[in-house]
Amino acid sequence: MLEASGILLVVDPRRAPSLERMLRPVHRWVWRDAHRCARKLMTFAATEADGGRDLSRAAELTGDPLLRRLFLRHALDERRHAELLRARGRTMRAGLGAGGGALEWRWLTPGERGRDDLRVEEEGDASLLAFLHLSEKVAAARFEIYRDVVADEETRAVFRRILRDEEFHMRYTRIQLERVAPERHRRALWRARAARLWKGYLRVASALAGRLGTIVLLAQYFLVLPAFALLAKRAARRERPGWSEPERRERPDALRSQY
Amino acid sequence: MRILGISAHYHDSAAALVVDGVPVCAIQEERLSRRKNDSAFPLAAVAWCLDEAGLEPSDLDAVVFYEKPMRKLERILVTSLRAFPASWRSFPQAMKSTLGEKAWVKGVIASRLGVPARKILFTEHHQSHAATAFLACPAREAAILTADGVGEWATLTVGRGSKARDGACAIDLLRELRFPHSLGMFYSTFTAFLGFEVNEGEYKMMGLAAYGEPRFADRVRAILRIAADGAPELDLSFFDYHRSGRRAWSSRMEEAFGPPRSPDDPLDPGTPDGKRLADVAASVQRVLEDRLVELARALRRESGLSDLCLGGGVALNGCANARILRESGFERVFVPPAPGDAGCALGAALYADRIHFGRPDRAVPDHAAWGCPVDPGELERLAREDGLALELAQSDAVLLDRVAEELAHGRIVGWMDGRCELGPRALGNPSILAAPGSAETRDRLNREVKYREEFRPFAPAVPAEAADRYFDLPPGGARLCRFMSGVFPVRPEWRSRLGAVTHVDGTARVQVVDAETSPRFHALLLAFGARSGIPVLLNTSFNLSGEPIVARAIEGYSTFRRSGIDLLAAGRCIVAKTRAGGVGLEREAAS
Repeated sequence: MLEASGILLVVDPRRAPSLERMLRPVHRWVWRDAHRCARKLMTFAATEADGGRDLSRAAELTGDPLLRRLFLRHALDERRHAELLRARGRTMRAGLGAGGGALEWRWLTPGERGRDDLRVEEEGDASLLAFLHLSEKVAAARFEIYRDVVADEETRAVFRRILRDEEFHMRYTRIQLERVAPERHRRALWRARAARLWKGYLRVASALAGRLGTIVLLAQYFLVLPAFALLAKRAARRERPGWSEPERRERPDALRSQY
Repeated sequence: MRILGISAHYHDSAAALVVDGVPVCAIQEERLSRRKNDSAFPLAAVAWCLDEAGLEPSDLDAVVFYEKPMRKLERILVTSLRAFPASWRSFPQAMKSTLGEKAWVKGVIASRLGVPARKILFTEHHQSHAATAFLACPAREAAILTADGVGEWATLTVGRGSKARDGACAIDLLRELRFPHSLGMFYSTFTAFLGFEVNEGEYKMMGLAAYGEPRFADRVRAILRIAADGAPELDLSFFDYHRSGRRAWSSRMEEAFGPPRSPDDPLDPGTPDGKRLADVAASVQRVLEDRLVELARALRRESGLSDLCLGGGVALNGCANARILRESGFERVFVPPAPGDAGCALGAALYADRIHFGRPDRAVPDHAAWGCPVDPGELERLAREDGLALELAQSDAVLLDRVAEELAHGRIVGWMDGRCELGPRALGNPSILAAPGSAETRDRLNREVKYREEFRPFAPAVPAEAADRYFDLPPGGARLCRFMSGVFPVRPEWRSRLGAVTHVDGTARVQVVDAETSPRFHALLLAFGARSGIPVLLNTSFNLSGEPIVARAIEGYSTFRRSGIDLLAAGRCIVAKTRAGGVGLEREAAS
């Protein structure tokens, strides 16, 4: 429910972004597979741990004592979340046999699962708080959906515990944003939204560029390299195992060469 | 002459500045960027070094990169070609990674630092390792052995170094072992096989080895065998790192040693599967040690020298170093504080100074503290702002006594003194300290501070004059322990009283503390000894799991606030935790 002050106190699934709500059946399908579920929990644990490190760095960089204390508390929460998720993931893995080759797309660069694309050094207090507020809001909405769609009660309890902290995180980031930027907090939030969109575009673009690069390099590999590969293999056969003489480069300008 | 050394792009990038033949400062990029094992171009480290010396990039006479990038590119290309078509998966990855910044280092340095290209020099990777090990050590003449994963082509070199009376220096690498045959890759492959992160988990594998029996040693010996000319040689059918980008070992490895461990799985050496993994670790460790001892023995016979300098990441293996000292015939073994790639920044700068420019040898201060200093005033300000209990000691003696008292009462202390060290060890400048007696302290440290595996041991620090009393150090052992580079037995009669620092096999990675180079830390050990009867402290790196070692007061403070450290000391300032509740903070945040 949203309070009059605009501070989200309780995460309401009906408030989750509409795209997320539309994707609920997909989430349900994703979390149905136990192997995939365990893997996802371990990935979330790593992301939360990364987020905790970013927050501790933010605490080290801010000049505002209250923010420092809050960021440190937030960092501790993230670490606790990481431990909870990891412990649950491990328990699930232990109960599963080998295998688990369920379909999973991993072609996007990491990011936006948490704060792992955040450059804390480049952010001021206001922009960081705005970014954190939006991230926490999105994460809380997602965790709310995950809590509802997971099949087992233990995993649901983990999400429930995390959600309690996320509420505090959303609340303090919003209140502190209004404190450190009383005139500019709305602008800071809009800029953070725009930055999230831009980063999303960059992630998709770099993933596509990466794929394209791989295709071009693979084409070169199979079309251009075979003849050279033959020569390289022939040369390798002539090499004796054991010690080699280092190539002597005793000319005075040896250090000028990159080769 | 002002020479800047740089290592970057693979793991642990760093910068080092040498002025008139003497190192002035050196720091790893991770200590400033706060990203563990940061391999990015070390712009922050370079900027800090120049600031510290009051120099502009235009004041530099040379910038030396620690390896030859084009030769490395050649190795990556040729390796892909030799493995064709099995390398189809790794080729695009390797090319995308190398053709980014790595291959154009000269341009990167010129553009980012604004220095002319003619001032940029390139040493060979193992020349840099050899220079770090030999040019910074006090020996006039020494045999040199460097071993790591891979540089350009070389993975292991043997040679000799000399410093003549007129100051002329020479480093002559006599022969080398080439990729894919590599002791470093051999050890790293098993590190990954046991589910640990490569370039980070090698210590874990060494710690795990003590829990196992080397029952697979014969199988491992057949994998890491000796060629006809005495060089180590890998049976490459067990490995895949030179062919595929997917994983480092082949299916033959799994046939020989059973299934690999997933990094997410817990590891308990008490379970049958944990025991199997510990036995694999013990076997690999044993065979690596045997091969290194054989190499060192042969080098001793060949060179006739008494001193050996070890360099490269493999020289971080304290158990192997200790056996080399005991069994190779060398009287002294020198291992620099940063034998890995980070130390190469310093080695490359020293190599350029002594060998390329032909400048005479200068004694290099025999310590590791080349990084940024801690400002106790900053800690004082932070503690006041956050309303923590703050004490300002009237004198050093009062502070040392107070800290020693807290340690004797079982408290865990964050200790920050002077400049942070270069290399992976915390040697008492920033360190987390605790009493060495009880296993309870060790468990608390693992659980509340370091958040790490229980099987990993903690290291003791001991004053040089008391080291022999508690630890069974061979002649030359104290020197090897200066930078925590050797693992030696704890004397049996002290093991029960040094429970927190005695590993399961009765050994410890000892740090021998010299009063001359670390006067305050040495005095603290004595003060603790006066209270507890044993001048030994548990000394572990001042960082949390997944984070770099702290360099500045604020980072120490942040670590202190996020962990179970009871007390933080810097300069004459002592900060203790108060029982501030989270509810109060929430109220404050919402007000």
